[in-house]
Amino acid sequence: MYVILRSVFKHALKSTGVKILLILSLLFIYAFQFILVLLDPHERLEASDMSTYFNGMGLAGFAMLLTAVVTSDLISGDLSGNSFVLYFSRAIRTVDYAIGKMGGALLVVGILCFAAPVLLAIVAIATQSGPDYGYSATVLGRTVAAGILATLFFVPYGTMLSSFTKRKSYAAVGTFMSFFVLTIIGNVFAEFDRSWRVISPAESLSDAFDWIYGQELPSYIDGGALAVFLALFMIVPTLILYLRLRMQAVGK
Amino acid sequence: MTTTAEGLSHSRESAVGEGAGQHHLSANGVTVHYGPVRALDGFTALIPRGVVGLLGPNGAGKSTFIKACLGLVSLSAGTISVGGLDSRTQSLRIRDHVGYMPENDCLIPSVNAVELVSYFGMMSGMTSKDSMQRGHEVLDFVGVGEERYRLIKSYSTGMKQKVKLAQAIVHDPPLLFLDEPTSGMDPQGREEMLELVTMIGASDKTVILSSHVLQEVEQVCRHVVIMSNGRLVAEGETSVLVAGQEDVQSLTIRGDESAIGRYVAALGRTCEILERRDEGKGQVALRIRGDETGRNVFRLAGENEVQVRYYRGERLDLEEVFLRSFKRGGDLGD
Repeated sequence: MYVILRSVFKHALKSTGVKILLILSLLFIYAFQFILVLLDPHERLEASDMSTYFNGMGLAGFAMLLTAVVTSDLISGDLSGNSFVLYFSRAIRTVDYAIGKMGGALLVVGILCFAAPVLLAIVAIATQSGPDYGYSATVLGRTVAAGILATLFFVPYGTMLSSFTKRKSYAAVGTFMSFFVLTIIGNVFAEFDRSWRVISPAESLSDAFDWIYGQELPSYIDGGALAVFLALFMIVPTLILYLRLRMQAVGK
Repeated sequence: MTTTAEGLSHSRESAVGEGAGQHHLSANGVTVHYGPVRALDGFTALIPRGVVGLLGPNGAGKSTFIKACLGLVSLSAGTISVGGLDSRTQSLRIRDHVGYMPENDCLIPSVNAVELVSYFGMMSGMTSKDSMQRGHEVLDFVGVGEERYRLIKSYSTGMKQKVKLAQAIVHDPPLLFLDEPTSGMDPQGREEMLELVTMIGASDKTVILSSHVLQEVEQVCRHVVIMSNGRLVAEGETSVLVAGQEDVQSLTIRGDESAIGRYVAALGRTCEILERRDEGKGQVALRIRGDETGRNVFRLAGENEVQVRYYRGERLDLEEVFLRSFKRGGDLGD
């Protein structure tokens, strides 16, 4: 499992597309914030500031793109090369393979969605002028939670789509387009009933970040429905992926 | 740098290599279904140590049997024991000590041979450093030179077959499954591959070579298992199978039609004629039983004015063994 995870991570970081996306997204989303935190005097780390970084469409958009690029050849590459048989002739289980593949992708996406905001929060705490470190630590904890959610959210879906095709390009375009289409559908239906925006991955994620940072959910968003959607968006693709891999592992 | 088969053997202690007695692998009434298709149908065999040929036409169930041994397909019935381990419940332990060279193209095209072989070495539990060193050793052994640094997608079929073999032996397993290892190779490549198989077999490993090319199996295998339609049709030592029956002689005679008719009739009164085959141009091949000294064969030939062109104790090639097995035990092909 660790061998696969490490290989996926190294392979992804060698990819020009991933490198460009990571550099662009870190520059676009965080570079200015780091400069601001370092130069602008602040009393403590504010939840509203961190929530703003997460809620900007930049993070969700780049996370979607990065996920699409990183996950596109995770399984499709092994499908097109019939490499499953080599993996499963070794003493590894389907679940080890799946965790290894997804884990590698999560590490890459985690650079953008977890490591960068947590580092930003730590830098903000280190440079704060006020004594309220307790509050800042709470916000740091919330940032860790938001970072984990942002990292975990898109990868299972992208990996699942990669298990449906032998073509990396189909998987990449399919992943990004399905996020995009769900967002459009959510927005269209929200014109009639605003609670429909829960089916938009980016909007749901944004609402979840608000909740993590202690803000009130909009009145038209049902907290339970949001939690169910978020959970389903991660769990169902993982289960489908597992079943697809099981079928591949036994050569059906 | 040359690596020998002995050099490849690191005397790895293994559950698979021990505790299995004389037989390394046994299958008992194994049945496997792919939906409505019965790929293995009560297959039973005892496979000893050494280089063993798994013979059968396409669709006979050879690859399915190998996958069943690795626990990659579910058994509908029966049991498979690999070195004393049950394939149903201990497949991970079996796979830890087995090398598998699949029939189909299965290599990762976007990496080079060193990366691939060392990657699968690590997957088998080796450290990064060890697997890299070992990767180079086995690539030397199979004869992949500087090409090892090129991406696999640029390799010829023969090169790919060698890399497939290298990844199968990188962790020095005591048991190897080679599924059609010479598939798609040119004659020289085939010879090289069979030489490698012989060298591996000489290093005290068990090699199960699945093939439908009889000459290859006859060339390198000490023991042969013949299967058809998912069933066992014959098995035994290659030398015993090709030796034929002890008291049976092969005889070829030539003469005019009436002389041959008289000769065969006279011979039939002194011994049992098992088979008669007209080979054309006045030549007839016979299999007879009951005249081990050949006295009557030659006496009657003189009396009936026919030439004895060939006479000796029966010796078959594997092709004849194969065909006779099918006559007895099943249809040829599926």
